[in-house]
Amino acid sequence: MSDETPDHEADKALAGEYALGLLSPDEAAAFEARLATDAQLRAAYADWAEDLASLTDRIEPVAPPPDSFGRIEARLFGPPRRPAGPVWRRWGLGVAVAAGLAVAVGLATGVLERGPIPPDTPSYQAELVAEDRSLVVSAAYDAGQGRLFIERQQGGPRAGRALELWVIAGEDAPVSLGVLPEAARADLDVPPALRGRLDGAVLAISDEPPGGSPTGAPTGDVLAAGPITKL
Amino acid sequence: MTTRTDLEHWIGRAALGDRQAFSDLYSATSAKLFGVILRVLKDQAEAEEVLQEVYLRVWRNAARYQINGFSPMTWLITIARNAAVDRKRRRPAAGVVSDPNVVEAQADPRPGPEQAAIAASDSTRLRGCLDELSDGHADAVRGAYLEGETYADLAQRFDVPLNTMRTWLRRSLITLKECLSR
Repeated sequence: MSDETPDHEADKALAGEYALGLLSPDEAAAFEARLATDAQLRAAYADWAEDLASLTDRIEPVAPPPDSFGRIEARLFGPPRRPAGPVWRRWGLGVAVAAGLAVAVGLATGVLERGPIPPDTPSYQAELVAEDRSLVVSAAYDAGQGRLFIERQQGGPRAGRALELWVIAGEDAPVSLGVLPEAARADLDVPPALRGRLDGAVLAISDEPPGGSPTGAPTGDVLAAGPITKL
Repeated sequence: MTTRTDLEHWIGRAALGDRQAFSDLYSATSAKLFGVILRVLKDQAEAEEVLQEVYLRVWRNAARYQINGFSPMTWLITIARNAAVDRKRRRPAAGVVSDPNVVEAQADPRPGPEQAAIAASDSTRLRGCLDELSDGHADAVRGAYLEGETYADLAQRFDVPLNTMRTWLRRSLITLKECLSR
């Protein structure tokens, strides 16, 4: 390269410094501004990038954790629509929203209304809230009786459809607690096998055909969800 | 075996919003990039976060990748290395951070003649040329690239004033580039 001017040579060194990340913020910004208009400088930088990348040739590949790509997809595209992978991923968004609202909603609605009465001393409670608040349901669990008191405070089933309540403990598949009745309040029995596993579990409501899911697993959209918290 | 053509195809498809192509690209390249990021950061949790950030950038900037600019692996490795170095420098003792978006944007549609060089031969070529540098300067280049060392770090390591370090290294870079261009 005998035809090179000193300026050209200095630019090559500068491009190398930039590729190595050695320039000060001001110098780097000035370099980047020149890159936009200076094809020769761009070529010099690309050339260095190519050469320096070969410094990684001897670095052994390391498999990233298996859930890494799922996290990337979730950050880019939001939670998957169809059940794929861990059950938790289906409920992630609703749970996050509901957790923020759980404290605010509370159970302080009229105790004297007709229908089931909320437990005096619930052991656990949950607030199930749709993202747009079109459906808000509170839940309180009476450990002594294995009874889950439900109160629909906002919204209801879609036309010709039903709301089904599910509990998800740990990584297990959702277990149905039944279809919510037309009345705003309901008492639901919690199966004995689940009673000891409610702490930290999630309650969720899905949109189902009348009578509930025909498959034993949620088939429609998840309309609202919320974590169960100990009182 | 993944070829350069495969990578360029996947990047091109990802630019059009093809998630399957993005998934294929991830499958083919994530272990290499994770290795590079781990090499820089030496911390599993941090490396996992940076790997995610890298692929977010890849997806968002795929449209700006030009197949005639950086080779696809260089493009990916450069994004990963820069993201890892940026993260490392944001640890307690902060240093100079370059704009992380520039790499993605700087693919040159008109390659210089040097860019036609075949990647496979670079490794030995670069090593040979680094060996020609005077004592320690090959380590300085490697330290800056693989450890994210700054001029201040290098000056301390070589026990010379910062300006002296910079003069030395610039001279070494010119020597290195001459050797690589032979």
